[in-house]
Amino acid sequence: MVELEQILARLAEGARQVLQADAAMVRLLDEEDARLTVGAVSGLPAASWRQEPIAVEDSSLDEEALAGQPIIIADAGADCRVVGLPEGYRSVLCVPLMHENHPVGTLHVYATAPARFGEEDVALLMPLANLGAAAVVATRALTALEAMEASKAQFIRVATHELRSPVTVAQSLVRSVLKGYAGELTEKQTELLGRISRRLDFLENLINDLLALAAGKTPELAREEGPVVLNASIGRVMLLLQPRAEEKGLDVTFHPSHERLLVWGTEDGIDRIFVNLVSNAVKYTPSGGSVTISVRRVDGQAQVEVSDTGIGIPEEALPHLFEEFYRAPNAKAMEEVGTGLGLTIVKDLVERYGGCIEVESTVGQGTTFTVTFPLVDL
Amino acid sequence: MPKILVIEDDPDMVMALRIPLEANGYEVVSASSGKEGLQKVKEVEPDLIILDVMMETTTAGFQVSLQLRNPDPRSEYAAYRHIPILILTAIHTTTSLRFGPDEAYLPVDDFVDKPVDPDVLLEKVRTLIERSQKAS
Repeated sequence: MVELEQILARLAEGARQVLQADAAMVRLLDEEDARLTVGAVSGLPAASWRQEPIAVEDSSLDEEALAGQPIIIADAGADCRVVGLPEGYRSVLCVPLMHENHPVGTLHVYATAPARFGEEDVALLMPLANLGAAAVVATRALTALEAMEASKAQFIRVATHELRSPVTVAQSLVRSVLKGYAGELTEKQTELLGRISRRLDFLENLINDLLALAAGKTPELAREEGPVVLNASIGRVMLLLQPRAEEKGLDVTFHPSHERLLVWGTEDGIDRIFVNLVSNAVKYTPSGGSVTISVRRVDGQAQVEVSDTGIGIPEEALPHLFEEFYRAPNAKAMEEVGTGLGLTIVKDLVERYGGCIEVESTVGQGTTFTVTFPLVDL
Repeated sequence: MPKILVIEDDPDMVMALRIPLEANGYEVVSASSGKEGLQKVKEVEPDLIILDVMMETTTAGFQVSLQLRNPDPRSEYAAYRHIPILILTAIHTTTSLRFGPDEAYLPVDDFVDKPVDPDVLLEKVRTLIERSQKAS
C-alpha cells in the first residue's frame, strides 16, 4: 500500500530542494475542511511535527492560500498573517494544494533570509503542489477502496456461513427422513421429499457458486497467490471426484506431466478450476463412458486437457457457455443439478491467473476443454 | 449401547444427526456450545464425539478438539484423549480440498460434510467406535 505519509514527506522535501529553501511544511485539510494538520516537514525540528491541528480561520495565511492564492511574505515578523512559524525564519512562500478546484491543504516553504521568494518561485512550486495534491487525493481514494474491499471480503465470509447453514441443516434433516430413519415413508412421500432434496441441492450449489464468484472478484481474498504445482492440484481433484465417477461407472484416467509444471495462482483457485471442469465431465458423461485429464508442456506453456465421451455441447450453445447462469439445452434436459455458474467461475479464475480456456465439442461424442497457463520458472 | 456426544449449536442440526443415530441404537447426548461440550465430555464419558466447528466463535470446535487432545499428561481432559472425534464441517468442500484429519493442525479422526448424508455419517461413526474399542 502506498502510504500517505511517504508522499507528503517527499512533497515537503521536494519543495525545499526545488526552491533551495531552508525548510518546508505540508498542512492537510481535514474532511470537514475546517482544520489543518501538519502532514510532513522538511528541514524543521521534529517538534514541529507534533503541532496541534489548527482551525483554518486561525491562520489567515493558510485561509488565503486555500482560497487558491499563492502568498509570498518577505518578512514574517512584520506580517500578522503568519502564525506558528518556527523561530528564525523570515521569508515564507505558501501555495495551495489544489485538486480539481478543491483545496486539500497548503505547502509552506521557509527561508531564514528576508525577501527570499518571488513570482518565479511560485511558478516553480505550483506544478509540484498540483502533483502533490493529486497524489494525496489518489492515495486517500486507494485507502478507502482497500477498506471497502476488506469489508466486502468480510461480508462474503459472513454471508457464506449465514446463507449456507440453513440450507445445509434443512438438507440434512430431509435426508434423514428421506432415507427412512424417521419411520417408513409412502412412495408419494419419498417422491415429494426427493423433489425437496433436489431443490435444496440446487440452492446449496447456487450459494457456493455465487460466493465463489464474489470471492473471485474480491482482491482481499486473492492475496495468497503463488506458484502452484499443476500435477498436485489435479491429483487432489482426482481424489475428490474419482469415487463419484467410479460410482457412475466411468473410466477416469489422469496423465500427469513428466516434469513438474508450476503455474501462478492460489491452490484453492487452481483446484477449483479443475474440480468444476472434471465434475462437469463426470456429470455429463453417461455410464460406461470415459474422462481423461492430461497435463503437458506445449510451446513453453502448461496445458491441461479435460476430455470426456459425454453428451457434448450443441454448436449454438458454445458462444454462451461461459455466461453467468447459462446452461446448454441438453444439459438442462438432464436430471443433473447445475447452476450455470461453474464455467463462469472457471473462466474468471483461468483469466485471473493469466491463462486461457478453449472448448471443442461434438454432440453425442464428447467435449474437450483445454486450459493453457503461462509457466512459472523458479 | 454406545453413547455419542453431539456438540452443535444448531438444534435442527442436532435433530438431523439424532434421527439416524437413534434409529441405529446409539444413545445421543447433545451440547450447544464448546464450553458445555467439554463439561458433558466429563459427565457422559461418550464413546464418540461429533463436533461442529463454528459455534459461539468461528473456531469453537477447533478449541474443543485441541483441549481434548492436549498431549500434556496433566491436562484435565487426559482421561478423554482416546475418545474419537468426528468433525462436522462445510469448510472441507467450500474453501479447501486439503482440509482433513491432521494431527499437527486439527486433532480429529475424521470429518463429515454438511449437509450430512445419514448413511455416510453412520458408516463413519461405526468405523470410529469399532476402531477405538479394538484399541482399548
